[in-house]
Amino acid sequence: MPAQKFNAVNQSNSETASSADVRNKFQEAWNRPQEAGNRTQWFEPYAEGFSEHQRQETTVLFGGLTTAQDLLLEGALKGLGYRVQHLAEADLDSFRIGKEFGNRGQCNPAYFTAGNLIKYLEQLHQSSGVPRDEIVKRYVFLTIDACGPCRYGAYITEYRKALRDAGFPGFRVVVMHKQGVNVTMENPGIALNAKFIVRILRAVLVGDALNAMGYRIRAYETEQGATDRALARCKEVLYDAFSEGKSVLLAARRCRKIFAGVKVDRSQVKPKVSVIGEFWATTTEGDGNYHIQRFLEQEGAEVEAQPVAIWVLYTIWTSHDRYIHYSRVHRDAQPGAGADRTDAGNSSAGRVRAARVWGKVRARAQSFVLNRLFSAAEWAVHAGFQTYAKALGLNDYQLPDMDEMAQVAHEFYNSQLRGGEGHMEVAKVILNTTKKKSTMTLSVKPFGCMPSSAVSDGIQSLVVDRFPDALFLPIETTGDGIVNVHSRVQMILHKAKQRAYKEYETALAHTGLDKDAVEKLRSHPRLQDPLRYPKHQVACTAANEIYGLKHPLSS
Amino acid sequence: MKPTQQSHGDMEQMVIGVDVGSTTVKVVVLNPATDKILWKQSGRHYAKQADKALELLSHMHRQLALSGDETVRIFITGSGGSAIAATLGAKFIQEVNAVTMAVEKNHPDVNSVIELGGQDAKIIHFRTNPKTGERQVMAFMNDKCASGTGVVIDKCLVKVGMSLEEASQLSFDDSRIHPVAAKCGIFAETDIISLVKAGIPSDEIMCSLANAIVQQNLTALTHGYTLEHKVLLLGGPNTYFPFLQQCWQQRIPEVWQERGYDVPADVPVEDLIHTPADSQYYAAIGAAIYGLKEPTHVGVYKGLDGLKKFAAGSRSAKLGILAGPPLVHSQEELEAFRRQYAVPAFQPASLQPGHTVRAVIGIDGGSTSSKAVLVDDGQRVLFKAYELSKGNPLQDTKDLLGQIHSYISSQDATVDIVGLGVTGYAGDILDKSLCADVNVVETIAHLQSSVHYFGEVDVICDIGGQDIKIMFMKNGEIRNFRLSNQCSAGNGMLLQTMASEFNIPIEEYADVAFRAKLSPVYSYGCGVFLDADRVTFQKEGFSKEELLAGLAMVLPKNIWQYVAQIPRLAALGNRFVLQGGTQHNLAAVKAQVDYIKERVPDAKVYVHPHTGEAGAIGAAFEAIKVVRDEGKSTFIGLDNALQLTYSTRSDETTRCNFCANHCRRTFIDIHTPAGGSSRYISGFNCEKGTVDNTDDVRQINRNRKERKRRYPNLVEYETHRMFQHFYEPQPLPQVTDNANTATSGISRGLFRTRRQKDAAASFRSSSNADRAYRQGLRIGIPRALNIWATAPFWRTYLETLGIQPGNIVFSDYTSDTLWLEGGKYGSIDPCFPAKVASAHVYNLLFKWHSRRPLNYILFPCITHLDSPIQDALDMTSCAVVAGTPNVVKAAFRKERDVFAEKNVGYLDAVVNFADPLMLKRQLFDALAPVLRVTEDESEFAVDEALTAMETFSADMQARGKAILEQAERDGKLAILMIGRPYHDDPFLHLDILEEFQMLGYPILSMSSIPKDESWLNSFFQEDIQAGRVTSALSIGDVWTESFSANSVLKVWSAKFAARHPNVAVIDLSSFKCGHDAPSYGIVDAIVSTANIPYLPLHDIDANKSAGSLQLRVRTFAHTLREYEESLQPKNFVAGWTEDLQYQAEV
Repeated sequence: MPAQKFNAVNQSNSETASSADVRNKFQEAWNRPQEAGNRTQWFEPYAEGFSEHQRQETTVLFGGLTTAQDLLLEGALKGLGYRVQHLAEADLDSFRIGKEFGNRGQCNPAYFTAGNLIKYLEQLHQSSGVPRDEIVKRYVFLTIDACGPCRYGAYITEYRKALRDAGFPGFRVVVMHKQGVNVTMENPGIALNAKFIVRILRAVLVGDALNAMGYRIRAYETEQGATDRALARCKEVLYDAFSEGKSVLLAARRCRKIFAGVKVDRSQVKPKVSVIGEFWATTTEGDGNYHIQRFLEQEGAEVEAQPVAIWVLYTIWTSHDRYIHYSRVHRDAQPGAGADRTDAGNSSAGRVRAARVWGKVRARAQSFVLNRLFSAAEWAVHAGFQTYAKALGLNDYQLPDMDEMAQVAHEFYNSQLRGGEGHMEVAKVILNTTKKKSTMTLSVKPFGCMPSSAVSDGIQSLVVDRFPDALFLPIETTGDGIVNVHSRVQMILHKAKQRAYKEYETALAHTGLDKDAVEKLRSHPRLQDPLRYPKHQVACTAANEIYGLKHPLSS
Repeated sequence: MKPTQQSHGDMEQMVIGVDVGSTTVKVVVLNPATDKILWKQSGRHYAKQADKALELLSHMHRQLALSGDETVRIFITGSGGSAIAATLGAKFIQEVNAVTMAVEKNHPDVNSVIELGGQDAKIIHFRTNPKTGERQVMAFMNDKCASGTGVVIDKCLVKVGMSLEEASQLSFDDSRIHPVAAKCGIFAETDIISLVKAGIPSDEIMCSLANAIVQQNLTALTHGYTLEHKVLLLGGPNTYFPFLQQCWQQRIPEVWQERGYDVPADVPVEDLIHTPADSQYYAAIGAAIYGLKEPTHVGVYKGLDGLKKFAAGSRSAKLGILAGPPLVHSQEELEAFRRQYAVPAFQPASLQPGHTVRAVIGIDGGSTSSKAVLVDDGQRVLFKAYELSKGNPLQDTKDLLGQIHSYISSQDATVDIVGLGVTGYAGDILDKSLCADVNVVETIAHLQSSVHYFGEVDVICDIGGQDIKIMFMKNGEIRNFRLSNQCSAGNGMLLQTMASEFNIPIEEYADVAFRAKLSPVYSYGCGVFLDADRVTFQKEGFSKEELLAGLAMVLPKNIWQYVAQIPRLAALGNRFVLQGGTQHNLAAVKAQVDYIKERVPDAKVYVHPHTGEAGAIGAAFEAIKVVRDEGKSTFIGLDNALQLTYSTRSDETTRCNFCANHCRRTFIDIHTPAGGSSRYISGFNCEKGTVDNTDDVRQINRNRKERKRRYPNLVEYETHRMFQHFYEPQPLPQVTDNANTATSGISRGLFRTRRQKDAAASFRSSSNADRAYRQGLRIGIPRALNIWATAPFWRTYLETLGIQPGNIVFSDYTSDTLWLEGGKYGSIDPCFPAKVASAHVYNLLFKWHSRRPLNYILFPCITHLDSPIQDALDMTSCAVVAGTPNVVKAAFRKERDVFAEKNVGYLDAVVNFADPLMLKRQLFDALAPVLRVTEDESEFAVDEALTAMETFSADMQARGKAILEQAERDGKLAILMIGRPYHDDPFLHLDILEEFQMLGYPILSMSSIPKDESWLNSFFQEDIQAGRVTSALSIGDVWTESFSANSVLKVWSAKFAARHPNVAVIDLSSFKCGHDAPSYGIVDAIVSTANIPYLPLHDIDANKSAGSLQLRVRTFAHTLREYEESLQPKNFVAGWTEDLQYQAEV
């Protein structure tokens, strides 16, 4: 337990006395209320940074992805030498605590996350007896950079406010910016170098593949709980590999063997439900989305959850897209890029012309290199994912093509609009329908989600109108009213089941299989192979099995 | 029952369908061969779903004389169905699917279904897939906020004092419709209370509610789809209330007509839109029909044993894990609590025989009840009277005064009534009708009363039926206050209605709740959400005792975390007073005391001895003071008051024709026995509605003009100015090259580099034909969202390119009419400013385009705004604001492409105002093909348009500076409105700014604060010197991670107000505003620390709840007065020294 380890750490501060004094003085000056006339003014309390010197005695807390990814990320960071602890899945208690200390009107991922952190710190204080100021000194919360169009941009401020009001003023929220961690510090506590990024990304991708395996197998397992047991074992194996610096690829191959032991019957006709929506609401697996993935499985569906990698790809795509537009405009607007306009008066016309030409060439070269870098980053995510997916036994699983997504959505949702998942939700519904990737699409988002509830869902009504085959249901999560939410899901799932049966019957008719043959199917070894997944033809997996088995059975 | 052996669907003797809803259980038994109903029954379950189902099924057993050998199958539906399904052997069917099944079977010619349940509203559209010819079903259920359900109608019936029987006799009359917000149940209730207290007759209110519910469902729940005929109306409310059916039958054909949807002319509307027999049973019927399609082994009825066991209390053991603690842990604890906090029952004073007592009456016309007190001139309460609201404040008051009269008559002493003080929602009408000596704002009345009994306290917390009022005190004065807003209203009423849901009198609430051994943990917040939780907990098996205990325990969280937003209670002090009618309920008091003491261990919590009458007592105390000071009373006297008669009239003759709103007002003519008469007028939107003759209106107009002249309202000025032609753009440069070609002066070189020839020589113009084409173009722009931040830009850009000024058409300002006409195209329910955007586009398409055709509607997706504020990480627009043009496009292209039909192009280009170069490129790319301009021309026009924006900004700042400097000189206050750009729209800021302008305060907008650093430095000098900021325009010292251009401006404006000695702040925020939410805490911290007058008006929406708004205005006006008195100007005079230099006349 971190709290027990905490007592044993060396409490000496490696900073020099003078730097600490300067910092303390500044902090004191900053926090001293300003009094002008009769007025006292408020300032955001000074927040100290997290420096390299503090790394050995500081525990880095984080959380908020899937349980598999949180665990593997902890392993990866541990392997890099950090003291690290991931937070448990946020639950309703976390939500209530978050609401108590957060601003009114925030979206619930902010409440769940802030509340979950405070809940952990309070337990540390109350159960383990660690004083609050020691907690503030020895723990940090690691999170990632935000953006502006929706409330997500204010999460970090929100965390700080909640922590302050909950009795942890000065608790450090360390932010991984695109430019680095604690960009103003010389030696930040988190070294955001290539090694760090590769390890983090690897943990995320392996976690995605592991989750996808779980969803593929669990829906068809013949022994209840077998998949979960296999997943738990795989997590242990992979955690050890990450934390001990062993080969993750080899560990993944070991996991494949573990999964191979789960018995499945893929002749069961189930609708495939693609769960999309706001990032946190679709990623969490607990109270935050009413355990929606498990609920769907209990109701007889196969779940297709969104890998976190899609979000990584989207981030790369938007950065690239923004860069393309930005560079096009600014490069063209400054033909003499590199040659200051004031130079013109001091230099000969020839030198100015030369400088302009050089500026253009340099800008073009820069642009060429950067464009290639963006493409390479995208390729690396695809390649990395496929490497670990195949090692784990996850075959025929493709991450989406981001350009295609932008293209199909653009008519409805301008792909230059940002915020949340942007145009992706619209694109996913179109592709799920036209390519028969899923029987039904369930879009989960926090109540009042700005980009999803208020923009995407409005546009989806036209999408559904244009694609009448789309089975689409948006639901908003508030942390309460679970009965009503489950009822809405059941409403559409009923239709999805009918459609899945129809696909199955069509497949049977297409292949000409009779009743006896169908019975035989149940014992066909391919349908009982957990690592094999039928080639995609339609959304229903059992129907795809029929299409795939046509030839062997005929023969 | 015997398992069936036959193949399904033909041999069973009967099939049972059970619908366990949020308020009722319904059971039907069908003959599977004929689908005929053999037996049916329904009843309210009062949170005992299993018991009620058992009771009904037992009846069924008896009445159908079931022996147990029959072949019976059972299928169950409804929100509570899944919990008991297994005990009966039933299969659970989701209710919309069940209803769909019943409709498909019984009404194949129906294309739309509207089902209103206790808590759910559902709309089902049946459509034929054009590709496959299949009949498809699109079903929508209300989102969490949506109202329009049985529970809301029930609650409102209580509020207007109408019985179910009376309601079932009511006919819909749309000639007397008053504004009611049906978006959310709580909003609707707030509006209903205002109407009741304004004396509007009950039938008009219920018709207004029906109209609002129907409009809301047509706006949001249809998801923009047309309700194709035939339309079936199902569910309890549609069954039991003919006025609701008639409202549907009136409003749906209006939509048909508007959208050109053809219906058979020869079929009466009653056949096109109708409620079938047994409509409330359709879900149960559907479940039974659905079940027959299942294999025969599914849904075999197991009899009642399992259900009996379940109902007898074999609740799932998991409750213990899910639940929270009880309200009381032991009998000893309860007794100790009662000893300390139970308020002894009040005994009316026995007056000394033969004596004469001078006394005053205090009346509090509250939201759900009215209270009166008789107080002697020594401030002793002699008698108290209480009346639950019966729907008319005058009648309630007469009843109260009757009680006082009886009391006085019962005494042998003489009571001389020397004055009357009134307060509360009904304060105005009582003031007018009874000629009260004083009409005190509620907050002040509560304060007076509390200070009298407890001296200097730190916090007064008043929980009424509708409002929560929290006053933070310092030296016996209100230092600050928080009032529940629309979203947090109705907490007291919620306890009451929840108790009545369970058939428990409110007086017994506490006793029942104290019996609970555990409690469900509600998610605090909105009352609608709490009710949704209640449904979940009921299903999980929590008992009514536990549900009530849990609800009492969530109350303090709602008060302190949701309304007050105070995470550290101890910072407020340690002396708390609890008052208001809800404190009669000891369960609520216990929860409050526990909550406060847990957070403030040394807290002293007092319960007001006259908890429900605190307001009335405060009004009486104030009356004593006024009468003493004035030396006389204006009160008409008790006898006159008792014999007072009144008549209510609301028809064409009462309509106000003094402005374009044409409000349908209600006149209440009051007559006293002495022959005196007065008229109270309600139901108007502006001051002109308060009078009934032209001379009075002229006088009002003169007064208003004078006030407006003296106290400029820069928000109003901005509202009009920004859409006008105030900037004369430079003409496009002379054509010098290739005059007749439309090619750009910018050519492409190697690697597509941009080559621009010498500017003077190479400006490329479009052809004469193109210029002529542009002169004829007519372009509409919706007056919505970020157009409010950029209007001068769009006008100037288009004018520079040659569009005639008269051909640039902005949609009308937002109004009720505009919203009602055009609001039905939305498919989602975002914030009102976003939702109303589609109504603005509708206004352009259907009004302006009809007058003279528009060629295009320009509604750009503005992703970023320019801002002078520094140290923000980005300057983005809100995602909703930026994306809404795309949403509006979708709404008008669904089902049919309205733009194509009207031959109007829709331009929703993405543009970035924070990057002028990007803006130029984006506009050229998007608009060049439409406007036929060259890149040179477009860029020139952008430069001109940006200059126009600067001109506008400079004008605003000059006006603001003049007001600020004069306020400082004169020691007066100016009010700064902080909000988002669209809050300039008077409909969106609820016309509240004008109210303060009329009170003598000039109004500043955020754009009118000078951004000139040399001027600002005097206010930010210390911040800069301390190194917290490097510029007066920075927000780095209060918000380090900010991205939103407008939130940043709001926060900076609050900082400015906190540093300027003469600025008070009104903070506007719309319901569901995601960008404002993070700034609430920051703005609050800034203004609270500086201790300046601050009025937050958050969660505002389309509705304008007059009562609650007035409470805020009057309380804030009191704060402003006190604050202004505390200012010590150098050259203090009674008023502004001179007329303000800049007049806000447009």
